[in-house]
Amino acid sequence: MKKSLVLLIVVAMLVLSLAGCTSNGEESTNGTNDKLKIGVLIYKYDDTYISTVRQAIEKEAENDTEVELLMNDGQGDQSKQNDQIDILIEKGVDALAVNIVDIGAASSVIDKAKSAGIPVVFFNREPDTEVIKSYDKARFVGTKPEEAGIIQGQMMAEVWNEGKYDRNGDNIMQYVMLKGDADNPEAIARTEYSIKTLNEAGIKTEELGLQVANWDNDKANQAMEAWLAKFGDKIEFVIANNDGMASGAISALQNAGYNTGDSEKYIPVFGVDATEEAINLIKKGAMTGTVKQDGEGMGKAVFALAKNAAQGKDFLEGTSYEYDETGVAVRIPYQPYK
Amino acid sequence: MENIKNKKKNVMDGLLNYALYIILGIMILVVIIIDPSFISIKNFTNILSQAATRAILGMGVAGLIVLQGTDLSAGRILGLSGIVAASLLQDVAYASRMYPNLGQLPLVIPLLVSILIGVAISAINGFGVAKLKLHAFIVTLGTQLLAYGLALIYIDRPPLGAQPIAGLDERYTNFVKGAIKIGFGDNKIEIPYLILYAAIIAVVMWFIWNKTKLGKNMFAIGGNPEAAAVSGVNIVKNIMMIYIIAGVLYGIAGFLEVARIGSATSITGQNYELDAIAACVVGGVSFSGGVGTIPGVLIGAVLLQFINYGLNFIGVNPYLQIIIKGLIIIIAVSIDVRKYIEKK
Repeated sequence: MKKSLVLLIVVAMLVLSLAGCTSNGEESTNGTNDKLKIGVLIYKYDDTYISTVRQAIEKEAENDTEVELLMNDGQGDQSKQNDQIDILIEKGVDALAVNIVDIGAASSVIDKAKSAGIPVVFFNREPDTEVIKSYDKARFVGTKPEEAGIIQGQMMAEVWNEGKYDRNGDNIMQYVMLKGDADNPEAIARTEYSIKTLNEAGIKTEELGLQVANWDNDKANQAMEAWLAKFGDKIEFVIANNDGMASGAISALQNAGYNTGDSEKYIPVFGVDATEEAINLIKKGAMTGTVKQDGEGMGKAVFALAKNAAQGKDFLEGTSYEYDETGVAVRIPYQPYK
Repeated sequence: MENIKNKKKNVMDGLLNYALYIILGIMILVVIIIDPSFISIKNFTNILSQAATRAILGMGVAGLIVLQGTDLSAGRILGLSGIVAASLLQDVAYASRMYPNLGQLPLVIPLLVSILIGVAISAINGFGVAKLKLHAFIVTLGTQLLAYGLALIYIDRPPLGAQPIAGLDERYTNFVKGAIKIGFGDNKIEIPYLILYAAIIAVVMWFIWNKTKLGKNMFAIGGNPEAAAVSGVNIVKNIMMIYIIAGVLYGIAGFLEVARIGSATSITGQNYELDAIAACVVGGVSFSGGVGTIPGVLIGAVLLQFINYGLNFIGVNPYLQIIIKGLIIIIAVSIDVRKYIEKK
């Protein structure tokens, strides 16, 4: 009897939790069937950057009485995301906003949308341009990998031109580079374009060392310590593909007595991402600059394009966005942060 | 008086034994009440075709659970065999192919390759369990990593490097994603091939389980290995056979699943074994061995997908969906244990 009681309680809990957690949804669906429905598919809810994009999209929808969002978490599994798309299509959504798990599966997502005649806005993770072009109601909202490098280069050029960091006075910037990954397109583009931008600004550069530190704080720290032991004062700039590696390098620098407030012993360090940690380091004067990936801006753009498409309008109608040279992609600019 | 009490107790027990189905039934009802548009043929066929590959995987795992084992490697085996199948079936016109010089293969060759991979790894599991007397949990924990490592090595090769295997041949995707249309005029019902494949496999598996000596031996070994050995059953051979059959099913499921998704990566198949095991448990396959049915596994797979689909359909918070799934599994096992204790 006791056991049956326990079971009954569990049953009651399950049913109640189910009923409870949908009551919110019920309110918003009741009597609002004329609302535009946009299915939003996130590749993974617990990804730091993407969750800022997701929250921005949700905020946009809160302030918009015409739109109802149907949010989905792909949990990093393309098969789950495909199932969710089937469900959304069956629910009769007016548009899909897809942060695809596996860019290779884009054509099968497009097939589904195409056969239902529903427009798709891909965002953040970029499918092949040819695949997007295969459906006239598909667009992409994202960033340009090289842009983070370009902005990093511009910030560095500014700092360099202040003139006080050419320690050995040879008019050449001696730098060390912390690369994220050997074959990651973002890492390759950031590494290449930060230096290219400096050179284009007329600044000569010399690479003292380059280390693939897997975006990792600790690996970057080790590399920086080795470089400091080897080159010491010769290092004039530290460039990192992300803020995690930049902060690892900074802690090595600080152990060696640099970047602790003495302006004579300061080596400029640059990262990408504008994490809370990096912003804090910049405030304290231990780090020089980072590049902000604009999650809110991306969320706003995704919402605007998807809403237009859901209404059957042109994707860009009434917005200030423009396509890049591909004609199907909107690029959200990175922003310098120093 | 005694009689009435007993009757009451029997009713209560009956209710308890079916509690899981009652809960699931109530949940489905709640879904329907919240959003009546849930009742549609399209939703139903969607659910069935989404459950199909997991049901095939589940029917493989079920045999191992009947043998008092389990399989943590099923998902990764599915992934590996799917990746290889996909690499052999990329569209000839697709630019970044893994084998640029490979012509168009008949579908059956990659299917056989998939099955071979499934059988090879599952046979290692079987060997470990039957010959080396390892616990299935340990062997399959090992082979799971083995399959994952092989998949990574296979997928991350020059000149392309690690990238999804996409651009699948249309013959392949049509073979899996196509559908038969039944009916006339506007009332046409589309039945996806996937459902038919799962049904055919279910019939074959039902036959093996119920009408062959192998099936009878499987239940005998699972129920009481010592007794089975004493009565002259070749334990090693029979266990190996069941594992090999499971491998065949994993291979087929991998072949089908990749075409359903539309591309393959090293993540393909990750955690699928948990869905398959959950389907078995919900479908009444007992972890204490010797008990289980093919229709049970099918019902388990479909019910779980029903809940998945339904919760998604009415827009339950994604994190809560995971919690609800977890609770369902715990309830399923606690009922299973209850039945087992009663049997003793």
